[in-house]
Amino acid sequence: MDNEKAKELMLKYNSGELLGSEEERLLEEYIEQGIIQIEELSDLDQLKKGVAKIETPAPSDQLNAGFYKMLGEEKAMASKSFNLNEVINGWIERLGLSKGFVRLAYSLTLIIGGLAVGFLMNQGKTKEIQTLSAEMKEMREMMMLTLLEKESISDRLRAVSMTDEVGVNEKVVEALLQTLNNDDNVNVRLATIEGLYQYADNPKVREGLIQAITHQDSPLVQMALAEVMVALQEKRSVDELKEILKKENTPQEVKDKIEESIETLI
Amino acid sequence: MESISDNALMLKVKEGDLDKLGLLFERHKKVLFGFFYNMSHNAELSEDLVQNVFVRILKYKHSFKGDGQFKTWMFHISRNVNNDHYRKNKLGETDDIEDWQDRLGDKDADRAEKQEEDIRLLKRAMERLDQEKREILTLSKLEGMKYKEIGDVLSCSEGAVKVKVFRALKDLKKIYQVLHTQVYG
Repeated sequence: MDNEKAKELMLKYNSGELLGSEEERLLEEYIEQGIIQIEELSDLDQLKKGVAKIETPAPSDQLNAGFYKMLGEEKAMASKSFNLNEVINGWIERLGLSKGFVRLAYSLTLIIGGLAVGFLMNQGKTKEIQTLSAEMKEMREMMMLTLLEKESISDRLRAVSMTDEVGVNEKVVEALLQTLNNDDNVNVRLATIEGLYQYADNPKVREGLIQAITHQDSPLVQMALAEVMVALQEKRSVDELKEILKKENTPQEVKDKIEESIETLI
Repeated sequence: MESISDNALMLKVKEGDLDKLGLLFERHKKVLFGFFYNMSHNAELSEDLVQNVFVRILKYKHSFKGDGQFKTWMFHISRNVNNDHYRKNKLGETDDIEDWQDRLGDKDADRAEKQEEDIRLLKRAMERLDQEKREILTLSKLEGMKYKEIGDVLSCSEGAVKVKVFRALKDLKKIYQVLHTQVYG
């Protein structure tokens, strides 16, 4: 019933006839309920398309320059005045601790911390601690690289998940890219993409991710890489993505996804 | 791909990993620039306002809870940035229709440019639309913005967004027709 009434009203509107105030109200109601779409009202549809045609220029390089300058300054400031308060508040929020307990813990931490610092300073061990933590990092890195070579899939997945703790240096990036391009297991390759993505601001990682596109046969991995390229707005990957489209054995849904990604990138 | 969602990145920024803001900037700078540009038609100003948005994102990073969409939160901030700018500068329409006619004079002869001129006239009509209506039409033309998402940004239902778009288009049509008569007679 409503639909017929709506159709009639729409026809009247589209014929250019003036609507009474009650009809206007009804028309809005149908639009609100989704019975009539704005796109069905020919004059407004045309106008909406016109608005869509109003071109938006691309932002200039000045935008990037300004943003990265601001970010650099913020980072410099953040590292100068490391805000202990914020970090502690974050912990409190996460642990849901009571204020009294926090105060007590805070005082105890200060006392113990003070004692510990004094003790270590006296012993002249600060340097040793630094060396120790550097060694630990090195050990973790070695462990990660060893696990990556293991036959067990879960070992390799564990290695990839260690990317967070180890961070990336040339050796780690190389090993991860090697895994991305050569590992037999799809899950390991997908996890590697996630691991590498976090370090996409590193030019070598970015380049590696782009190069990896043509090495992949698995639709899942291809789509994940396409998604990453869109997320990174990496225009340089368009050629590699087109290579996948050219392959005969690429499934249609992958092709659709890639085409969509290419469109977004261009 | 959970680890690469906008929300995950923003939570990292909140924890102090400021580099992740770079990724969010790369993902959203274009759509934000589009928002400000369509509101002001001033590229330089739009770039400044995009930057202001990211300055505010950093400033208010602790208020990001991660329970809603990052994009919605970002557009809340963007609308505030835009409103603050207009409040401060009280921008009025400065471009007279007479100037417009002068500029049109030479080109009018060229019929091939007729459609282009129509779009320019429409752009002019958009500039004359009141800010709230211009905003709803701008949001609905942005790439990837669905009525539902606009509703989240404006804190109203999808149906209400459709009605707002409908009313804005009706107003735009009136303004466009007035301009059209003034220019083409």
